[in-house]
Amino acid sequence: MSAVVEAIRAERLGGRLWLYANYHCNLRCMYCLTESAPGVPRRLLDPETMVQRGREARELGFTGLGVTGGEPFLLDWMPEVVAELAGILPVVVLSNGTLFEGRRLAALERLAGLPVSIQISLDRPEAEANDEMRGPENFAKVIEAVPRLVERGIRVRIATTLEDPAAYDPDERDRLCALHRALGVPDEDHVVRPIVRRGRAVAGDLGVVAGFGELEPELTLTADGAFASPFGPTIRGGRLDTDLLVTRTTAPLSVPAAALAGLAGGRDGGRDARLGIR
Amino acid sequence: MMVSAVEPEQAPLLARPYYRAEGTSPIVTSLAHVPEALEVAMPFVSVVLGPGAVDVRTKELVIVRTSVLLECRYCVETHSAVALDSDVSAAELRLLRSAGTAVALDSERERVLLAWVDAVAGGRGSVPAPLGERLREHYAEPEVVELTLLCAATMMLNRYCTALDLPTNPATLERLTREDLA
Repeated sequence: MSAVVEAIRAERLGGRLWLYANYHCNLRCMYCLTESAPGVPRRLLDPETMVQRGREARELGFTGLGVTGGEPFLLDWMPEVVAELAGILPVVVLSNGTLFEGRRLAALERLAGLPVSIQISLDRPEAEANDEMRGPENFAKVIEAVPRLVERGIRVRIATTLEDPAAYDPDERDRLCALHRALGVPDEDHVVRPIVRRGRAVAGDLGVVAGFGELEPELTLTADGAFASPFGPTIRGGRLDTDLLVTRTTAPLSVPAAALAGLAGGRDGGRDARLGIR
Repeated sequence: MMVSAVEPEQAPLLARPYYRAEGTSPIVTSLAHVPEALEVAMPFVSVVLGPGAVDVRTKELVIVRTSVLLECRYCVETHSAVALDSDVSAAELRLLRSAGTAVALDSERERVLLAWVDAVAGGRGSVPAPLGERLREHYAEPEVVELTLLCAATMMLNRYCTALDLPTNPATLERLTREDLA
């Protein structure tokens, strides 16, 4: 058994390989890890690279794929690539959920029935509070988009990102859960997580400090290299953070995978690190 | 410096063991941009340039002389300080840093070694066989291999440090000034 398979089975290394498809976004959220916005450098992974790394991930023993950004669905080819990736391993795609109408919505229909879930951010149960962090009309667009996806047979997860989940107001939580259930998303597909103090959250003095010891090791590929967590390849002041860089080499995937498995070897087992950040 | 130094708080995971609280070499802070290369290069450099079967004075003679021939400012300055700590005198360093080294040292063994270094690091193409034969009269085969690898690795580092224009530690420069070696 390879060191990578062993680390995944022992839960020292997350089973999901993350792919940062791009860094640009139609939104400019206050706590964005990657300082994403319209017009920032895109740092693209091309479709062939994503699929090839996905194939290698399966061969190495990974159990799932994650696609994130930026907003991945700004890339017209993303639905097709996600469908191809889903033929390799189950896929979760992180999205702001604000682009799902017209031709983009139609293109997503190919994902129906595939092992794909789209994880959409929804932080607060009321529009004004939600949009304060995420931008105008975000709330309205998301609550329109989620049922459209669900109706088309696409699994949706809701991700709620909070300054302090431990201090989450139970009444607000109840209102948000009632909302996601009404939109067709069951409780098991709702995740709550803290803001991580990286990227734009540093300037806003938001969130929790999280380093290698606090994050679950999950191999994450970007155009700049391989990182130890999807919270790793962050941007601050326009500069890429390298404190969670594993290797610049991303192909063959066995190189960064073995390196991260080795680094993860010194950590305790278990699905969650101290902060439980996923 | 042609590339930025990776600061300690940005040091990649594989690079962190090579950072020192008292200050980190620019070779490390530049290689940290490619941590998988750093992870291999630094142990290699440590074994080849560090203590081995060949004594440290002999090693520093080879390193400084090679660096002089390759005109690597960073390596000459940095290893002049190391050489002073390795039983090489300031007078000997001045000889190493001048043209006529091979005939000026007291020891025949070291003169032969440095003539051979001049041919390896300063020449092109094959190394004259008589020089190799003379070297073998003074050094055992494992020593010849270690010295050859040392000279070759130093040449690699010379070009790396020169191309990236690595800065010498100010404290090292101060010391060399005091020794009239700046």
